[in-house]
Amino acid sequence: MPLDYPIHRRTLPNGLRVVVSPDHTVPNVTVNLWVGVGSRHEQPGRTGFAHLFEHLMFQGSRGVRSGEHFEALMAEGGRLNATTWFDRTNYFETVPTGALELALWLEADRHGHLLAALTQENLDNQRDVVKEEKRQRYDNQPYGNALVDVYAAVFPEGHPYHHPTIGSMADLDAAGVDDVHAFFRRHYAPDNTVLTLCGDIEPEAGFALVERHFGPLTARAEAPRPTLPQLEPLEAPVRVVRREQVPNDRVHVAFRLPVDGSDELVAAMVALDCLAGLSTSRLVRRLVRREQVAVGAHATAWGFVDGVSLGFVVLDVAPGADPDRLEDAMVEELERLAADGPTDAELEASIAQSERGWLSALASQEDRADMISRFALLHDDPQMVNTHLDRMRAVTPERVVEATRRWLAPHSRAVVAYLGDEAPAEAVA
Amino acid sequence: MSARPVVAPPAPWAFPAPVEHVLDNGLRVLVHDLPGQYVLSLRLVVPASLADEPRDREGVSAMTARLLDEGTAQHTSEEFAELMERHGMVLGAGVSDGGLMVDVDVPQAHLATAARLLTAALAEPVFPEGEVRRILRTRQAEIEQERASAGHRGARELARTLWDDHDRASRPSAGSSDTIGAITRADLVERHARSLGPRGATLVLAGALAGIPVTDVLAGTLGSWTAPDHVPAQPARPPVPAADRARVVVVDRPGAVQTEILVACPGPDRSTPHGWAPHPVLAFVLGGSPSARLDAVLREQKGYTYGVRAGFRPRVAGGSFVTAGSVRTEVTGDALAILLGILDTARDGFTDAELRAGVDYVAKTAPGRYATADAVADETAALALEGLPLDFTTRNLEAVRALGRDDLDAAYRRTATGEWTVVLVGDAARVLPQLQGRVPGEVTTVAL
Repeated sequence: MPLDYPIHRRTLPNGLRVVVSPDHTVPNVTVNLWVGVGSRHEQPGRTGFAHLFEHLMFQGSRGVRSGEHFEALMAEGGRLNATTWFDRTNYFETVPTGALELALWLEADRHGHLLAALTQENLDNQRDVVKEEKRQRYDNQPYGNALVDVYAAVFPEGHPYHHPTIGSMADLDAAGVDDVHAFFRRHYAPDNTVLTLCGDIEPEAGFALVERHFGPLTARAEAPRPTLPQLEPLEAPVRVVRREQVPNDRVHVAFRLPVDGSDELVAAMVALDCLAGLSTSRLVRRLVRREQVAVGAHATAWGFVDGVSLGFVVLDVAPGADPDRLEDAMVEELERLAADGPTDAELEASIAQSERGWLSALASQEDRADMISRFALLHDDPQMVNTHLDRMRAVTPERVVEATRRWLAPHSRAVVAYLGDEAPAEAVA
Repeated sequence: MSARPVVAPPAPWAFPAPVEHVLDNGLRVLVHDLPGQYVLSLRLVVPASLADEPRDREGVSAMTARLLDEGTAQHTSEEFAELMERHGMVLGAGVSDGGLMVDVDVPQAHLATAARLLTAALAEPVFPEGEVRRILRTRQAEIEQERASAGHRGARELARTLWDDHDRASRPSAGSSDTIGAITRADLVERHARSLGPRGATLVLAGALAGIPVTDVLAGTLGSWTAPDHVPAQPARPPVPAADRARVVVVDRPGAVQTEILVACPGPDRSTPHGWAPHPVLAFVLGGSPSARLDAVLREQKGYTYGVRAGFRPRVAGGSFVTAGSVRTEVTGDALAILLGILDTARDGFTDAELRAGVDYVAKTAPGRYATADAVADETAALALEGLPLDFTTRNLEAVRALGRDDLDAAYRRTATGEWTVVLVGDAARVLPQLQGRVPGEVTTVAL
């Protein structure tokens, strides 16, 4: 079934890219902004800053007091939030149609005039909140810092993806008001932003409203640096072992992958599905269902734009089983996939599951708006919401074999193992 | 800058009304045609009671649910999984206090296959010995994962402290290590035969259905489901609160950098004769946004937490009111004192501004909250399991819009009597000294 979500685009004179995608099935509109700044743009000593900055965007701007952004929109039936990721920061709200202009007014005020309201007190408060977020999501969770170790193992020191978006406690402590000013001036500007309206609005009315509120914002002078060239796969295996109190041993096996938006990445994703991304994947059948030496096997791939993407398999080791044996099995299955390619059934399952996942992700206005912004900002092609599935369906077994050989070679793996404490039993008196 | 825009009031809206059929085998079918929703959501609910599980086999209902698609009369577990995946289908099954729920999502084109496989999973699972052992072992690993997570461990201790020891609600619905260890294939076969059947069950189907012969597809698949040994469940009963529930329990998690705080008391279910409408509004005003009473102080003023949430958790019968969040270890005592102070002070009443903000949020977000096939199917399936009328959601929103301050105050005072069950999951050695003089009565410490 070809997808045909309507896509209307326009670029304002100040460089703001605007996309309107009408859908009148629900009397709501989603406003979704993607700003082209994420943790990959952070400077040494200031990791976590893009995310801390995102928190400050809710603390008031020229005409809006601290907290008012949330309060004003929620009281009109708005559901809203913001998130920070490696390649971008997004801000979004879904509001009843009658509150669309209020949402645009509030967004334009903070995206244009944040610094007028910034105080040391707000910075200090949100720094504390972000440190609690880090404790809650990373430091106080079993395996909570495993992916932080994966980033550091897969990407070289100083590389944009070497550190996590949450940053470090020391860097969060070091952030000052001056940093906020510099960051805003450098990254927050209409020509580094995409704004999508998805929902109960017609294109011309949408463009006019956006123009009214965002038209007066000024473009920034500085052009973004070009993205880095493709990072080649690791030349030799990397291994990190942590001994902690964990409920079961867990092994992460990670790889560098081709950049987002490439056919090669799509093929590599299918290869990861064949390995561990489906409930019928090779490692699931072998380690979880038959040998029962694992209680779970999962695969994930994240597309990034700055010269490299990330793929990883997570193996949860069954009690009493040997983690090395699981890793050996994974190497064998990688070699087998590289030699023989996927079966017809595997390819069919991977495509069918991706298709359902894709359609589910587009089912709500808010998620659809987010996808449109993503493709507009990162690839200058919002039509990819309609065309991505065709690309997925065009993957051949030969391309999967090529991607497996080039990107998932066993010697190019980085392994991060979280193994249970081997604390000696207490001596009995 | 331009003047602040004026907001136009939202258009009237009602929760979509399903078309209702009953299949020949007694299965009730509720269908929502939602244009543009290309992934269809099926929800099958069967009323059943966890309270009648044998005490030494608790979790047998949940394990039965998890094994439905792990081998049927026609397909091995692996064949079944492959058939689902090749058709873009995903199936999940679980239990609550009110019954069994099976969720299926599938692209439009594969509805017939999905309905056929769902029927096989319900009617003829064979519980292969090898798969049974695997699923039980996986549950044991999951129990260890839950023990290691502050949130899960706290929820388990909360249930144990809040509800009477003799009540099933005081123990994990998916079973504990000892009861899971005792379950055999025969237990699962028997549970399946007695507790699952089309009588009293409801199937919800939501999504873009134009051009699909829905009635024929369902009659030819789920309509053939029979269960001669099925004993329809007794109506669920509200859990019995523990007589000594108003106390503080610390779950010791040495070295924890944060303390997970849970504060709770028994609460209503959605069929409460006093009306459900005030409860989501109260949750919003107390703990549903960064400006709500709890986060306005604990997050935005003090910076103690990433966020504290308060909410009512209705079960099919009875429920609870739970406030929960994590704070850094060194401020646990102060944070708990502030949190309890906010919850107790709220008994003095709410403001007009709070009423307005809460009512508007709950009422005006409804169209967006129920905009997708899965959200609509989830709500209709919940109504069916809870025995609520199909216009409940719309009528409740009308009642929300009509609320006054007195309604909020009365509803809160009815639930929040000041007898709080407090569970803290954190480093006991550092937390206990902070509690002195801040909480009444004895503090119990338990191991992780």
